[in-house]
Amino acid sequence: MSELATTTAIRLDGVGKTFVDARTGAPQTVLDGFSLTVDEGELVALVGASGTGKTTLLHIVAGLSTPDRGTVEIGRPRLGVVFQQPRLLDWLPVRQNVVLALEAAGLDPDAADTVLEAVGLTRYAGSYPSVLSGGQRQRVAVARAFAVEPDLVLLDEPFSALDELTARKLRLLLQELWMSRPRTGLLVTHNPLEAALLADRVLVLAGSPARVAAEHRIERERPRSAEDPYLFDLHTRIVAALA
Amino acid sequence: MGPAALFVVLAAAAWQLMAVLVDSVLVPGVGDVAGELVGIVVDGSFAQHLGITVLRVALGFALAFVVAVAAGIAMGRNEFVRRFGEPAVLLGLTIPGLVWALLCVIWFGVGLANPVIAVALSSAPALALTIYQGVRSVDPDLLEMAHVYRFSRTTRLRRLWLPALAPSLFAGARLGLSLGWKVIVLVEVFGMSSGVGYQLNNAFAEQNVAAVLAWTLLFAVVMAVLEYGVLQGLERRAGRWRKAVIV
Repeated sequence: MSELATTTAIRLDGVGKTFVDARTGAPQTVLDGFSLTVDEGELVALVGASGTGKTTLLHIVAGLSTPDRGTVEIGRPRLGVVFQQPRLLDWLPVRQNVVLALEAAGLDPDAADTVLEAVGLTRYAGSYPSVLSGGQRQRVAVARAFAVEPDLVLLDEPFSALDELTARKLRLLLQELWMSRPRTGLLVTHNPLEAALLADRVLVLAGSPARVAAEHRIERERPRSAEDPYLFDLHTRIVAALA
Repeated sequence: MGPAALFVVLAAAAWQLMAVLVDSVLVPGVGDVAGELVGIVVDGSFAQHLGITVLRVALGFALAFVVAVAAGIAMGRNEFVRRFGEPAVLLGLTIPGLVWALLCVIWFGVGLANPVIAVALSSAPALALTIYQGVRSVDPDLLEMAHVYRFSRTTRLRRLWLPALAPSLFAGARLGLSLGWKVIVLVEVFGMSSGVGYQLNNAFAEQNVAAVLAWTLLFAVVMAVLEYGVLQGLERRAGRWRKAVIV
């Protein structure tokens, strides 16, 4: 991976990835010649059904997986990642979970208090994650991701394990965090409305290996509302592209 | 009276009943055993020989722990190391402690190396296997999280690996120590001139069953103190987060 001189934050060029089925031994190509660029400050959503290589792409960008073919240019950004599951260290109190990420990033550990306040979890700072609800645990994960002042935020189906009411609240929280400081981001989701609400650009992935079936740029100020007719219409078009 | 105390009282009563019924010097009464017990405590021989035995076990266990933690983690993280180390661990598990005791007496004579290596050899395989299984059960999602947030090696070890492995480490320590205690007594019976095993052998040579029982009981008490007083205390401390209520 090499440094970029332009305002492009992420560039994937001709990326390919093939997995071998552990049971049958058969190769399965999920990405083949896939290209993608994400500009600085842009939040791009990858929407698609299961098995279209969305998470594989995100893992390649996060450095958790290496492509078999093609080039990846993302420099070495400081990452903030919200996974589908919160991935907290259950043996450490909430604040300490955030502090560890801050320390690893060379930042002031006291910043944990500010970010926990922003996600409404100040009173749980000293609690172990196991006393929190699923939504609260995911809030801690969001707090950790934004505490490190990331150059790049990766969101891997961040709210898919939550009930819809909690997911709505967290989408609003995410929009507020983005409004306070726009960042480069990649959102992987199978929820078209979530993509329309959060992203600046939506790529609809289909097939295996994945191809871009549709692309939508969203010119809407944040915070956005799910009741916005424009977003609802966009949601309908994404669903159509997925179908 | 708690269940544990009730067991002790009932066991003592049953033993006394058996001693009265058998009426032989080979089955001494509770009073005789208690007399021996008080004697070896008061004259200082228990503290002296127990101290020696505990030191030997501690050194042997420490050696086994270091080797087993390194081997267990390497086996859990690397397929080649696992396949390389697995036969050694399985072989080590099948070799009786008595064999290690005999071999170490022959190879290392009466020096400190003999009991230390015998304890290490007998406890390391079980410890390594437990730690290996613990490593395999560490959530790979947490390792990915540590990777993307660029946790240092020290942070990963202190904040992720050790807490995640704590249950395995305690289970392994318990198993390793119990094997170590058994082997050290054999080593001291066969090849040492000090320690609890040596004293047991002396009592056996004199056909002093009361002394054999007294040494055995005191040894068991020390193990119980270690288990309840030290290991369980540390385990509770390491696992206090588990007590939090899930809502």
